[in-house]
Amino acid sequence: MATGLSAILLNNRPALLRFLRARGAGDESEDLLQDMWMKLEEKDLGPIADPLPYLYRMANNLMLDRYRSAARRERREQDWAEGAGGVMADPSEDVAIDERLILTERLEEARAVLRALGPRVELIFRRFRIEGIGQRLIAEELGVSLTTVEKDLQKAYRAMIALKHKMDTE
Amino acid sequence: MDEEAIGWVIRTRDPEFADWEAFTSWLEADPAHAGAYDALMAADADLDRIVPEEPVTIAMPANDPGERRWRPMRWLGGGAVAAALVGVVSIGLMNRSDIYTITTRPGETRTIALDDGTRVDLNGGTTMRFDRHDARFAALDSGEAAFTVRHDAADPFRVTVGDAVFEDAGTVFNIVHTASATRIGVSEGKVIYNPDAEAIALPAGRALSEDDSGLRVMDIATDAVASWRQGRLTYANAPVTQISADIARSLGVQLTATPGAGATRFTGTIRLDRDPARFFGQTAPLMGLKAVQQGDGWLLKEGDGPPR
Repeated sequence: MATGLSAILLNNRPALLRFLRARGAGDESEDLLQDMWMKLEEKDLGPIADPLPYLYRMANNLMLDRYRSAARRERREQDWAEGAGGVMADPSEDVAIDERLILTERLEEARAVLRALGPRVELIFRRFRIEGIGQRLIAEELGVSLTTVEKDLQKAYRAMIALKHKMDTE
Repeated sequence: MDEEAIGWVIRTRDPEFADWEAFTSWLEADPAHAGAYDALMAADADLDRIVPEEPVTIAMPANDPGERRWRPMRWLGGGAVAAALVGVVSIGLMNRSDIYTITTRPGETRTIALDDGTRVDLNGGTTMRFDRHDARFAALDSGEAAFTVRHDAADPFRVTVGDAVFEDAGTVFNIVHTASATRIGVSEGKVIYNPDAEAIALPAGRALSEDDSGLRVMDIATDAVASWRQGRLTYANAPVTQISADIARSLGVQLTATPGAGATRFTGTIRLDRDPARFFGQTAPLMGLKAVQQGDGWLLKEGDGPPR
């Protein structure tokens, strides 16, 4: 029984396939779309306000999951090759305390980086990234233009991702 | 770093994003785009671990109103100027005979009905000023008050709190003002914080606090706003120092917290009780603390209760 979202998926099959291919799914695009369709058939999600964007987002999340698990697999294999991995991990308390210290340090560092961007950029970034509020709403709340919010977010993201890269290479 | 890819990370993360066709076109323009986007989205997901989920905090250097760091920004600009003006105005107002002061003792509450239909409920330990000839003026000098404002867009109701101004936009809200902090919670309508400067809109369910650590905007349960009027104090992750001050004001007891106890945080509802021994006997364990009577007052210290 093709109703609701799964019907909309079928109606928009070419566009969604094009998206999955552009996202890098290649030959597996058809299978991925089939999986999505099965999932939608399995459970009734009830009415969704904007069904097509919802389906695109679902497809995008699928690709993000694939990327992350591939990255994890690669890391594991690398650890194995280097002789590190599970055997080396010592679950003693010292390690936990060290990790906590590093984490606290990193939180402080991230806080400082955000703060240095200025109060409006910090406020907008937190509202968007941590609280998940959309840009249009944030602009309304603060009485600034949407362009201002976009620019501030771009600035904050640039700084936070640069910080993240720096931490990864430490 | 790829500016375009960051732009798409931000856009697609927006809950309202709908232009997936434009995103498809961008991805198709260069096969490397998908990989760049994936890598940045993975980095973005990892940000959860380094960006704590705390309320929005803006640093505002204390004791230095003349040179606020954020002064050059247009949307915030004029804060210091407005603050200076309010200062001058309130000194002027204090000398006028139509300004009158109302003070409640700790533990005492009082309700003021203004001519325009606005109601102000003063909690204990509170000092406010009103104007006999202008029902749209109120100043909260210290303590806590809840405002139920009859809205008039042409003549907004304004509350002056220290050097800040809150302007109603059809509203029920609560303000606490102490020597070190100002907090406002909005339960209905909307309040504008410093309309002539920052102009931060606070709709129902939003709270703002300003203290040494900065300016914060956070969410608040609307039924938690001014709940002291129903004999309840409701908190989400509030520091015990702040809660102690609220209790002292509401019950008229002297209450201090040891530094260790004061630094802990509490989430939940405290039922006010006029009998201090009974009140602390129930409340302190709720906060994972211990209360001991000391002379005329009470001391909150770290208990040996279950860790929270």
